Amino acid sequence: MHTKLTIALIAIWLAGLAGIAAAVAQTDDVAVVVSEKNHVANLTKPELRKIFAGEKRSWAGGQAIRLFVRAPGAHERAVLLKLLDMSESEYKQYWTAQVFRGEAQAEPVALFSNGMQKEAVALYPGALALVNFQDVKPGMKVVRVDGHLPGEAGYPLK
Amino acid sequence: MRYNRMAIVLLLVASLSHAQDAAPSEREMIQQLVQQVKALQEKVTVLESQQRAGDPANADATPQPVSPPPPQAADKPAQPASFLQELHEPRGIQWRGFGEVDYKVLNQRTPELGTYGFVPGSHGNFYTGDFDLLLTARINDKASVLSEIAFGEGEAQTFSVDVERVLFNYDYNDHLKMSFGRYHTGIGYYNRAFHSGTWLQTTADRPLVMEFAHDGGVLPTQAVGLSFTGSIPSGKLGLNYIAEYGSSDTHLQNLAEAGIDDEDNGNHVNVGLFARPESIPGLQIGGSIYHDRIKDRSHESEASLGQTIVNGHIVYIRHGIEFLNEGFLIRHAYQQSSTVYNMPAFYSQISRQFHRARPFFRYQYINANQGGFLEEFVLRHGPSFGVRFDFNDSIAFKTQLDHTMRKGQPDLNGLHLQLAYTF
Repeated sequence: MHTKLTIALIAIWLAGLAGIAAAVAQTDDVAVVVSEKNHVANLTKPELRKIFAGEKRSWAGGQAIRLFVRAPGAHERAVLLKLLDMSESEYKQYWTAQVFRGEAQAEPVALFSNGMQKEAVALYPGALALVNFQDVKPGMKVVRVDGHLPGEAGYPLK
Repeated sequence: MRYNRMAIVLLLVASLSHAQDAAPSEREMIQQLVQQVKALQEKVTVLESQQRAGDPANADATPQPVSPPPPQAADKPAQPASFLQELHEPRGIQWRGFGEVDYKVLNQRTPELGTYGFVPGSHGNFYTGDFDLLLTARINDKASVLSEIAFGEGEAQTFSVDVERVLFNYDYNDHLKMSFGRYHTGIGYYNRAFHSGTWLQTTADRPLVMEFAHDGGVLPTQAVGLSFTGSIPSGKLGLNYIAEYGSSDTHLQNLAEAGIDDEDNGNHVNVGLFARPESIPGLQIGGSIYHDRIKDRSHESEASLGQTIVNGHIVYIRHGIEFLNEGFLIRHAYQQSSTVYNMPAFYSQISRQFHRARPFFRYQYINANQGGFLEEFVLRHGPSFGVRFDFNDSIAFKTQLDHTMRKGQPDLNGLHLQLAYTF
């Protein structure tokens, strides 16, 4: 009886370890999500950089892009800064300048959870957000980046 | 294989002995934990089956676009929409301020071009420069309003209000963005990149050729009219255009008499192209041509002339490096006398961020023809260097040394200290 119990515990422990390892491996990827009403299926990394830098402000068809980003400290924020090749301070100064130049109406709204990002993406047809792949929920459409989906080899947003 | 079996056996023996050693209370705890794990597993199984039942596409574990929620759920958020909108969308008028406090020392007591706010007659003094209020408001996804109001310091601590920009913007799409109102002209890069916000600038002042006309500069930096800009489908070249048509009712500061020469001009046309190639992020290469008809009232007899300004620029901003290069040819063609003046000018500025400090170097050059109405600029050129130090994301302190060589006049040296901030 004890043997079976011990084996069961070890099995659970090993399974837990495997699950944790798998989860850690997957959370590296950050998905680019849009509203399900959005027809975009693939974006290149330079396109994504232009969008998050506020240089490209409309989807094909004229729908205005609404950017939603995570607040400082989140993994998605780090991936965003890596994409733009900016530090947190440079990012803030960059957007202050963009608004001052009239190149943007406001700095992208910074949200404190992926739940809020989910709400935003559901609410605005032109929404675009970066979400940890593990946190992608129904109502979010995951867009390929350079032809790759999160979890695939060669996916660039980690 | 044999080693694997041995390892498993050893592991089992060890765990068996450990289980036998365990106290009865521990065993009970283990059993409870096992039961809890089983219960949780059952709950997860139930939840997963429920989710699959409500959304068949979710059964696919591949990272395909996440399935749509049931239609009724998608249409439902009508009631909380306003709340969510409040949460996600900045509403009303957004405003931002830019200010500066300056201290400047020159080795001469006479007025000098481009020393806006500086009180002539003293070696060094404080002044506040421009205090800028930027107001923006979103009307809808495509339309917005922007206004920039500057409170500028004149002589003897007198202040004036200037509407630097007031624009109604409409973004039809990325290829056509329209602005109507008072704008900063798109002659070159600097004027549209930095506007009146000294906090945005690395240096303490604008390059002399880019100085605002009402502060003693040579270019028509402001206008009222229409401005169109957008991207041109050009693949990885990243081509953009700018087209402006308006009245650049500029006033040129007359240095010698501290008066104003009004250019009673008609409408100007300015067209430009610039490329931001995908292969070199941070690089911008472009140029523009500006044309207007103006009147020269600096002489006894009023003269009409055509003003053409050709600009070329190469800018690189990335990895903490800022490298700005702009060249100008300002051409004045008098109608009555067929006299033509060509005034070349350029500036080159480089800086690099080291943590909070950004040392910079700038060299500028202006060469005005004798006899033209900009002749007081004569030949001026020289270096500026200094350091910008960012205390945080909103406050910067700049130290700048200038050395200007002037044709027919002694060299001019200056020290400029500036505290620039945004809020």
